Amino acid sequence: MKNSSRTSSLIQHFKREWQIYLLLAPLVIWFLLFLYKPMYGLQIAFKDFSLFKGVDASPWVGLEHFRTLFDSDMFIRAIKNTFIISFLNLLIGFPTPIILALMFNEIAQGKFRKSLQTIVYLPHFISLVIIAGIVINIFSPSTGVVNLLLQKLGFEPIYFLTQPEWFRPIFIGSGIWQEAGFQSIVYLAAIAGVSPSLYESAVVDGASRWQMMWKITLPCILPTIIIMLIIRIGNLLEVGFELIILLYQPSTFQTADVINTFIYRQGLVGNQYDVAAAAGLFNAVVAFVLVMAANTISRRLTRTSLW
Amino acid sequence: MSQVVLEKIVKRYAEVDVVHGIDLTVDSKEFVVLVGPSGCGKSTTLRMIAGLEEISDGTLSIGDRVVNDVAPKDRDVAMVFQNYALYPHLNVAENIAFGLRIRKVDKAEITRSVNEVAEILGLTNYLERKPADLSGGQRQRVAMGRAIVRHPEVFLFDEPLSNLDAQLRTQMRAEIKRLHSRLGVTSIYVTHDQVEAMTLADRIVVMSAGRIEQIGTPMELFMNPVNRFVAGFIGSPPMNQVKATIADGADGSVARISDTVSIPLSRAEGLAAANGQSVIVGIRPEDVLLEASGGEPSVPLDVNLIEPLGSEALIHASVGGEPFVIKTPTHGDISHLNDIKQFHVDVSRVKIFDEKSGSALYQADKAVG
Repeated sequence: MKNSSRTSSLIQHFKREWQIYLLLAPLVIWFLLFLYKPMYGLQIAFKDFSLFKGVDASPWVGLEHFRTLFDSDMFIRAIKNTFIISFLNLLIGFPTPIILALMFNEIAQGKFRKSLQTIVYLPHFISLVIIAGIVINIFSPSTGVVNLLLQKLGFEPIYFLTQPEWFRPIFIGSGIWQEAGFQSIVYLAAIAGVSPSLYESAVVDGASRWQMMWKITLPCILPTIIIMLIIRIGNLLEVGFELIILLYQPSTFQTADVINTFIYRQGLVGNQYDVAAAAGLFNAVVAFVLVMAANTISRRLTRTSLW
Repeated sequence: MSQVVLEKIVKRYAEVDVVHGIDLTVDSKEFVVLVGPSGCGKSTTLRMIAGLEEISDGTLSIGDRVVNDVAPKDRDVAMVFQNYALYPHLNVAENIAFGLRIRKVDKAEITRSVNEVAEILGLTNYLERKPADLSGGQRQRVAMGRAIVRHPEVFLFDEPLSNLDAQLRTQMRAEIKRLHSRLGVTSIYVTHDQVEAMTLADRIVVMSAGRIEQIGTPMELFMNPVNRFVAGFIGSPPMNQVKATIADGADGSVARISDTVSIPLSRAEGLAAANGQSVIVGIRPEDVLLEASGGEPSVPLDVNLIEPLGSEALIHASVGGEPFVIKTPTHGDISHLNDIKQFHVDVSRVKIFDEKSGSALYQADKAVG
């Protein structure tokens, strides 16, 4: 009785709201086709996969590929590099857009601010390949601006992109240069949502601009910062590997090779799809654990969470 | 406490003047309400006093200092905002203490002051709560607490009760009045609600289009409005304003609304107008008598609608084709109100205004109230 009434009210609901579900349908279909259906293929991480036998007919090998991965120095190095680059990216790359947004907020609306914003947003719209090209050119040992400057100052030119110790700073720096401006839009929007009367009240109370930034702006946009941090932690292991592939070379693998570039080389270059799938699954599980942990900690500490 | 003096204060945005050289003196410990319709410049004036808007021209003094170029924090004013302006990430105690912390007041002194203010405002049990966990009235009290705790020379209130429901507004109005009596701080209060103005103010400043129309005690403004704007703004419902022409009647001057409808005038009002002059007759809805008590002249009317308010009712009618509202006690029964065919006028309460200038033609010498 109870079930039938629930079913009929659900039917009534769909009849009434079908337009909303119609609007939702393309996104759900996209998710099913491109994110959920490929999950079926994850099982090859536990199989001795053969292209000719297909996913279903390939024999199960249990955790064999995971053992192989964790016995491989290259995979351990990739994990280590992923975590180091991710951590540095988070440490430097995450606060940069917030600082940019706070700085823009302090500049009065006008041509100067608009020009500055355009300059810092622009790199986001440039293709990654071109970004990599610009970085390669800037750090070129013969014609690069940096080396020309070093030579003018009396130093020897450095072939930055072949030196492992320079890879991480260049990679993280170019990533920030490309994305920090665009990412600052989210924080600028959050700052725009802070009621002007909070600032006016603080002005009457005697707060300086610096105090207002620390005591009003930052705490008021903290929920946005936390949401962005949770999302960022969820994507922590992604590390923008396309740019790494475009910039790294065997001489910098030592500091540049991350899980995703490892997967790329194993899967697409080495045709070891099953090992690559195992590495990918490991990556996804770690990302899942990280985002869950970040969300739970944030909910408990700040009452802000993604879900 | 300090006196606040505005001399020829002008606010100009680009080339447009929005406040046109106003003069106002708010005495020490006085509660002055700036009232007027939206866009009349009352909030701009208050913000100029607070230092949140620059003064384009004129002189503003607080106490014996000219403060035109003094930073808001150094004017020794505290402001309560319409939307409370509470910091959402701070609890009640921290919100109240904010101004003191900014001024680096000693921690023990901050705790003592916060507790004292919380006691005054009945917030002692809510000190650990965040603004989101408070009701509208409690938030407004916290906003006032933040202002009180600094012991400023002048309180500025910018429509502080506008976001509250009617019942809470009445309650908070009384609390503000009590607080002013207790603290005796010079207060300037902005509102568009004339009931708030009437109930709170020692003196009301009625503003329109960036100018002061009239300054006076609530009863002065109610009884002797200087022009049609003030007459229409102060009082609820507003004063009836009916077009008429001055003519000779049997017992003195009358204001003739139509060939068949005339309203007799008092001797003083009658003398102020010339025969044949086009005027506006002002009669307050509550100054109308449905039954004559002492031979008051009668005026015919057509009843259109009755609005019962409980102990009183509003009769929407037309007099000589002009809309006319009467406020009358119901004594628990409104059934007879539809049958009313005429009303009586207490001629001593009728006001006349010049039709062209809108100014009152006669002003009583003595203030009532």
